[in-house]
Amino acid sequence: MQEYSSQAAYDRGEAVCVIGAGASGLIAVKNLRENGFEVDCYERDTVLGGLWNPQNQHSPLYPNTHLVTSRSQTEIPDYPMPDHWPDYPSAARMLEYLKGYAAHFGLAEHIWYGSEISHIEPVEGSRFEVVVKPAAGSAARRLRYGAVIVATGHHWVPNLPSYPGQDLFRGTVLHSSQLKDGSRLRGKSVLVVGGGNSGIDIACEAAVNADRCVHSVRRGYWYLPKYLGGEPADYALARLHNRPRWIRSLLTNRILKGHRHLSARMGMEAPDHSHTDEEPIRNGRYLEHVGDGSIEHRPEIAHFEGGEVAFADGETVRPDVVVFATGYKPKIGCVPAGLLGVDGESEYPKLLARMFSPRVETLAVAGLIEPGVGVLPIVHWQTHAISHWLNIRKGDPERAANFRQQVVSESAQYEVDSTGISPRHRLAVDAEEYLAGLVRIIDTLEQEPAK
Amino acid sequence: MSLQAWVRRTRTPEPAAVEREIAVIEPADLFDFEAQDDPDASPVLCCTGDGAGAAAFGVLWLKRIAGSGRYAAAVSVRGQGNTPAAPGGVEAYVHDVVQAAIAIPRRAVLVGHGRGAAWTALAAARYPADALVLVAPQKLPKSLPKPVGDPRVLLVVSESEAQSKQTQAVTDAYGVAPLTFPGASEDVFKGPGAEGLLDAILSWLNRKD
Ligand SMILES: Cc1cc2nc3c(=O)[nH]c(=O)nc-3n(C[C@H](O)[C@H](O)[C@H](O)COP(=O)(O)OP(=O)(O)OC[C@H]3O[C@@H](n4cnc5c(N)ncnc54)[C@H](O)[C@@H]3O)c2cc1C
Ligand SMILES: NC(=O)c1ccc[n+]([C@@H]2O[C@H](COP(=O)([O-])OP(=O)(O)OC[C@H]3O[C@@H](n4cnc5c(N)ncnc54)[C@H](OP(=O)(O)O)[C@@H]3O)[C@@H](O)[C@H]2O)c1
Repeated sequence: MQEYSSQAAYDRGEAVCVIGAGASGLIAVKNLRENGFEVDCYERDTVLGGLWNPQNQHSPLYPNTHLVTSRSQTEIPDYPMPDHWPDYPSAARMLEYLKGYAAHFGLAEHIWYGSEISHIEPVEGSRFEVVVKPAAGSAARRLRYGAVIVATGHHWVPNLPSYPGQDLFRGTVLHSSQLKDGSRLRGKSVLVVGGGNSGIDIACEAAVNADRCVHSVRRGYWYLPKYLGGEPADYALARLHNRPRWIRSLLTNRILKGHRHLSARMGMEAPDHSHTDEEPIRNGRYLEHVGDGSIEHRPEIAHFEGGEVAFADGETVRPDVVVFATGYKPKIGCVPAGLLGVDGESEYPKLLARMFSPRVETLAVAGLIEPGVGVLPIVHWQTHAISHWLNIRKGDPERAANFRQQVVSESAQYEVDSTGISPRHRLAVDAEEYLAGLVRIIDTLEQEPAK
Repeated sequence: MSLQAWVRRTRTPEPAAVEREIAVIEPADLFDFEAQDDPDASPVLCCTGDGAGAAAFGVLWLKRIAGSGRYAAAVSVRGQGNTPAAPGGVEAYVHDVVQAAIAIPRRAVLVGHGRGAAWTALAAARYPADALVLVAPQKLPKSLPKPVGDPRVLLVVSESEAQSKQTQAVTDAYGVAPLTFPGASEDVFKGPGAEGLLDAILSWLNRKD
């Protein structure tokens, strides 16, 4: 055990502790307040907005980050974005939006900045003791809460591959989150690794700024544009859900066919998964840059050799800069792993319905999910459910017990069949199925209590 | 708003964006040293079914609301006042009210008059209003949606309407008793009773319960 200050924990009674003041934390605070809870939100940085705030240290934003999900599919359900904004707002607008949300609902007064939570621990059954990491020279503060919602995000710990011979490479090696300034690519020979949205966007930046851009991916993906059939792509695809199932798959195939054909024609591997299984790539410029030769598409890296990088197909390149856009590792350092259902071999949490701790009823996580659609609305409904649950638990233990059973059975449904290739997709859910599960959970919570 | 209602909305085309006329008077604009400015009091956003739109509130309402220390705003939905007409019907009017609400710096009280009361009641099912005030409502939807965020609700009707079926339906839906005023629906903007009515609404808003 760590040494904590000897002074007794300050008891905040039934108040709820929210960890993190990114989008998920802010939405949690708002929905908890709306349900009558006292809330203290702790943010380790000095600003709100989480990864959308470039002032947040380690923010993963790169030059020209824009949303990949469209405005109507990304906005918080009860606080829409201004309707004169473009379909795909910039990171700067996203931050403006989150600041507006916090101001509108008076959230700032509940946030404690510069307060990293180093540890939480269950005490007295279902209550929590929360330890705030000490600022230089002062003692750690300890407080007690009725419940904890973790909203620390999952884009803070870079996932970095290593290849044979890489340690002898003398060029610049960066993770996508370290790029920040596009001028670092200007005039250089750039190798971008990774076929997620970061890798694709950065390859497109390099296509216009760098001297040469080579892009390496290790398998097939869905390369979709931001518009399909004259509409924002996510909206166009979501709308098809209004149709009967068989027409839907017919129409979906029809609008995706051209893009699949094009990427096949350009020699790219076919995706090994359906477009709703994991986040598709959403960038219409990518295939055009491949088409005009400003991006050279390559398979996986085989090894480094001196200043040279060799790919699985035998081709080589001499890059000045290698950008690893190879994603992030989810890490919730302040919560004992067992409380999140993390078991021996995997570092990925196993939560009930992707939000409730399997161990303690008063611990939940918001936003630890990749739904392939806008994340904020999903977090809104998650925290709506969590707040209602905490309310019922206080007032009606019998209903709470029934609800618990339902959540356990719901949860079985979101075991994603991993393609086996990449552990990264363990946070992925099919949005349609997950939302249907949330509907059932919320309906149970909002039923009139049995008389 | 239920999750299902939200899903349906995200799969329906959004009404065309229009540049909306929004009239605003803040307490500080009044140059009246007597007026109290209460930064904690929620702003008020008004909307009427009357074709004049925001202008209908200009003469009396906005000044008096601002005089009570609150940020006072009124919106003209598409086709009213100086807001250009655009298609979309009731759905689009509700969209206009919600868009006007999120443009206000803090969580607002929604006040709707006449047909505007129907739009604000629908808007309150999408936007967590601080309170919902329905003044002489007309053409309310048959089944009133549950407001989000559990706001306090005030229903204000003319004495002649106090016993009507619609009034009964609204009081049942929200579990509130109506406040009545003498005269007709248009009398809320001018005439001898208007100031008293407005003051009654403001004092209800100021009640802390
Ligand atoms: C480059 C990029 C682009 C994206 N684009 C989209 C998009 O187009 N559409 C979309 O819907 N989603 C997108 N996302 C997903 C994004 O994760 C969500 O939109 C959303 O920002 C998640 O917010 P969050 O609050 O869960 O996490 P974060 O924004 O990461 O916030 C977590 C906060 O917790 C704080 N914190 C962490 N640990 C502690 C601790 N121990 N104590 C106190 N505070 C702590 C952090 O400082 C941070 O402020 C994108 C993600 C990335 C990386
Ligand atoms: N503009 C935007 O809105 C935007 C931009 C960027 C990111 N995002 C979101 O932010 C999140 C993170 O995106 P991201 O692109 O940074 O990461 P990501 O989606 O996790 O993608 C990482 C990529 O790197 C590959 N990779 C991982 N490890 C590798 C290894 N050892 N060797 C070779 N390749 C490896 C992955 O391949 P596998 O697929 O085989 O694992 C994948 O193609 C996602 O949710 C994404 O949608 C949004």
